Amino acid sequence: MPFVSESISAPHDAWSGSASAEPGRAGPGTRIELLERRIDRLRGDLRRAATTGDRAQARTLRAELRRVEHAWDAALAELEDRTPAARQHPAPPILSIREQVHHALTLLSVPAAPKLIIAVHDAFFPGELVAARLTSLRRDEERSFKVAPYGRPYYLCPALTADLLSPARGLLAISTWPLETRVVGPLSARVDFLVGAIKVAERVAQLPDDAHDARRLLWRFAAGIPGAAPAGGGGPGPVDPATVAGRAQAELDVHIEADAADRAAAAARAHDRLDGAETLFGARLQRLRRTAT
Amino acid sequence: MDALVDRLDRIRGTVAPRNHNARTIAALTNNPGCGRRGLMDAAGVNKGAVAGQLGFPAAFGQSRFAIARGNAFEAQVKADGAAELLQLLRERLGLAIPEVAYDDLSSVGGNASREVRYARTRNLLARAAAERDDAGTLFDHPMLRLDIAGYYAYLEPDLIAFRVGGRFHVVEIKSFAVIDGQADPGKAAAAAKQSAVYVLAMRELLGELGHPPETVSHDVVLVCPENFANRPTATLVDVRKQLSVLQRQLSRLTRLDQIVDALPAGLSFDLAYDADQLATRPPDELRKAVGTIDARYTPDCLGSCEMAFFCRDEATGSTSALGRSIRDDLGGVESVSTVLGLARGTLTPGAGQEEIAGLLRLAHRLRTECLGSGRSE
Amino acid sequence: MSVLTALARAEAVESGRAQPLTTVRHTHIAQAPLVLVPLALAGEAAAPLAAMVGTDRDAGRLLVVANPRDRTQRFEFVAELARVVVKYLDGFSRSLDAGHTSKVRYADAPQVLVPNGGGIDFVRLLGRSTRFRRTYGPHPVHRSVPLLGQWLTFLRERADHPGSAMLLAMTEVLGEHWATGQSGLEDANLAALLGWLDPPAGLDGAAAAALAEDPLRWPPAGPSTDPTFDNEVLTPALAAYARAADPQGRSRALSALTAALQEQVEPTWGLMWRAVDLLRARPPGASVEGRWAVDRDVFTVYHMSLAEGTALPQPRRDSAVAAAGRLDRLEREQARYEAQRALDDPLIMAEFRLSGEAFTGTVVAASPNRVDTSGKKAALRPHITVQTDDPVRLEPGALLVSPARLAQQATVVSVSSVDVVLELSKGMGRSTKQPAPGSVPQVGELVTYGPVSDAYQPPGRFPSREDTPWTHGGPPPDPQPTDSDAAEDWS
Repeated sequence: MPFVSESISAPHDAWSGSASAEPGRAGPGTRIELLERRIDRLRGDLRRAATTGDRAQARTLRAELRRVEHAWDAALAELEDRTPAARQHPAPPILSIREQVHHALTLLSVPAAPKLIIAVHDAFFPGELVAARLTSLRRDEERSFKVAPYGRPYYLCPALTADLLSPARGLLAISTWPLETRVVGPLSARVDFLVGAIKVAERVAQLPDDAHDARRLLWRFAAGIPGAAPAGGGGPGPVDPATVAGRAQAELDVHIEADAADRAAAAARAHDRLDGAETLFGARLQRLRRTAT
Repeated sequence: MDALVDRLDRIRGTVAPRNHNARTIAALTNNPGCGRRGLMDAAGVNKGAVAGQLGFPAAFGQSRFAIARGNAFEAQVKADGAAELLQLLRERLGLAIPEVAYDDLSSVGGNASREVRYARTRNLLARAAAERDDAGTLFDHPMLRLDIAGYYAYLEPDLIAFRVGGRFHVVEIKSFAVIDGQADPGKAAAAAKQSAVYVLAMRELLGELGHPPETVSHDVVLVCPENFANRPTATLVDVRKQLSVLQRQLSRLTRLDQIVDALPAGLSFDLAYDADQLATRPPDELRKAVGTIDARYTPDCLGSCEMAFFCRDEATGSTSALGRSIRDDLGGVESVSTVLGLARGTLTPGAGQEEIAGLLRLAHRLRTECLGSGRSE
Repeated sequence: MSVLTALARAEAVESGRAQPLTTVRHTHIAQAPLVLVPLALAGEAAAPLAAMVGTDRDAGRLLVVANPRDRTQRFEFVAELARVVVKYLDGFSRSLDAGHTSKVRYADAPQVLVPNGGGIDFVRLLGRSTRFRRTYGPHPVHRSVPLLGQWLTFLRERADHPGSAMLLAMTEVLGEHWATGQSGLEDANLAALLGWLDPPAGLDGAAAAALAEDPLRWPPAGPSTDPTFDNEVLTPALAAYARAADPQGRSRALSALTAALQEQVEPTWGLMWRAVDLLRARPPGASVEGRWAVDRDVFTVYHMSLAEGTALPQPRRDSAVAAAGRLDRLEREQARYEAQRALDDPLIMAEFRLSGEAFTGTVVAASPNRVDTSGKKAALRPHITVQTDDPVRLEPGALLVSPARLAQQATVVSVSSVDVVLELSKGMGRSTKQPAPGSVPQVGELVTYGPVSDAYQPPGRFPSREDTPWTHGGPPPDPQPTDSDAAEDWS
């Protein structure tokens, strides 16, 4: 079973299945802290393995790290699910832009363009995501990584193109996602759009009818999926979240296998050819470093 | 050809050549007989700068609002793996559900040169054209090129090449509205012309790889906002006519060497920029240089050529300055004073002018009869 | 276009002044026309930016949209424009034409003048984007909005009818009456066109037109604005309004924006009224009043049907049958309009003389008492022979009419290189032997004969709406505006 579909249909399985028993019973808040500590430890081990040239060990650690990072994302999403009350009230906590983007991306669970990230954030999260600040975000993240590698629990990084493993134009991803999610092949744009539609539909289903921004966003997805929006409707009309999710899944079933194979192959190549930083920020970094020295 | 390129380089002077784009190539076909534009464009001369130095700055410019609107619409149609575009192609052209592959040909990692990007476009399109059915559907930002009189003009269209049923279609995204099935005819015509340039460039690329021209369809998909909303609609536009005009014009351009041979040696449009990037070429001298190549001014040039205001001034007193149809009505007689001389009978018609002279005399008699002879003459 | 107008352009080049193409004015100019100078935001289909409107040259009203992309503000602008326009239109329903007894006709009708073809198109788009709106439902608008939409659509439709004067583009009206020394393309610039017609003292037409092309001196007459104005003036002005945090700041920003837009429309506003003066100074042709009466009839009927709620729907697209019928009507109107102008104006008739369809000459022989006895009843059928220098290209049997004797019909009997023999019928009084005095041209009289004008041409036959053939889509559904029409995005 391709990893990507697992992350789509049952994101929580990944967590409960593999992310060890110790944080299992704690609340999501505590769980996140425990996971973060574990991530740090794993990263340290991984760097050691990489410097000693122990590729086999590094690969195992990387896989483990990926699972834990994924669990961390899931726990975070769950935390947000449990605190809907906080969302509905004003005076939201002041979040950094990277946190805002992280929230939106986590909801979508796939790489996304800034425009969609903003739309998702505005539809589901409090506060305003200032578009202008998004432009410098990626550069800041890369700089922060260079100064103190793996110093943060996650980085916002570009998705990577499947063929060249270089940064894909205008697509952001979360560093803790598995490479199979972060690399994009020719079919990935469509697959990720459909996955995003399912995620958004699931979230909208939990909201009251007057969540206009959220419903408008869902309509935007629905308009691009055959049979998802009511026929003949001129402008944004009511759409049924379950229908959108169902239709999106139906089309997703057509593409998913080929896309997952593309991505898995690209991810495998990336594991072989790229070092840690490159797997996050793309093969471009390598060239930059070379020219710098 | 290399000698020609050298010569064109000298004519242009010390600055880098201006690149053609689809609009400038399409404009070449508006007025194919104009040797001046043909030469200046082939040499990559910055016509706007030359016109400015001659004292006839071109009044070209685009409103920021129009540019912003165009960019926003294009981004919207291409967003999320071109979701809106896919939906349109599925509804209008029966694109099958599995056909969703989207390749962005502009991502080659880092700042790749045009040549590298062209090579990548070529590779991917070649694979798509030669291979299996699932070798790509949408190709965004292809880098194309056309041979314009010995120079490769690189074209970086904001378009998507779209493949269905083994054929490529050019998808052109424009932000002018189609209202109740109708668009501004001028804008629609300009879009068709530009698309034809892309079709030709794609055919050349695939032709070099041994694919027949039909591999790229002459039906272009024009995507525009529908009515007053931002939702896109797609229209198939047949650009066969534009293609054949374009091909004829481009083949004429290859005879540029003949034009060049007839020019005085040492001819140059160099503006002699100084250290402060100010043009120092004396306007009189430049005017003389520009004047060595004949222009074929028509009022249509005003909308499509930076030299137009200069050429219009030069054409003062000619019937072509009044428009092609007026010139035709006047039997092709070139100068206004000849027309009036023939009309008033003060000039004897030359060979071939007898018929138009008779008509002009009659017209003159009728106007005088109706308006009285006291009117200004 | 013809040699005649082309020659006039050549004359204009030489003289430095526009040359007349007519001897009379062929277009009705109202006592109080409504001048409308609209500006639109570049890049959008129909986003109004500003408009100067009014019937008083000294009191043009400037309407401004402070945020042209804001739907609410846009509809507020439309409602304001509607107040001015609808009030103007309604004003004509107050007095009836007393001399017209057979059916009700208002004493006068509205006339809307816009600067150019772009202005006409703006009227169409604004009409299209507002006429389906509703005063209730999800996006309610002021009731004047759909009403204005219906009126603008009506006016725009009338503008297609040759000879109608209810909605006119000034550059086109002027271009029909004068030839400039520049191209038709350049004539689309109202300021340049008026430069040729009425150059300032000390300048010739070419120099005045060249000055008029400077957008800083003469801003474009809309609806498009000058790109440099957009980039350098409008962008910061709109941004300042959007940024303004408090009401005071907003009102400051709005007045700055209004001032900037005023500078863009006011010059055109002045040109429009100068053009009205130039046109008024020419005497009207004989049939101008008759054509205006048709406009008044059409206006009366539409105004009353709107008031009664029986106005025909204005669908997005005509059905196949409706479109074919309309085209047929327009073609017949065009033929009639051209013939009428020729009879009103020797310079227009000269076009027909040039092409050999009409001629002017002297009567050299006449048999006023000639009686045709070949039929059942003897009939008075005088013959006249007209000597002419014109290149006549007419066949025997062709029907002609003379501007001096509109009631009389002339049939070509024979044509030689120097003369034409005509047989006359009608318009000679009751006697079957003796024509009424003066009804038959006498020897020595200068006469003109041209194509018959108002000859009855049968309308084309088209199937009824219900019988639309399947090749044309079959009978169309009734055009009922829908909810989605009313809620249509306007962005």
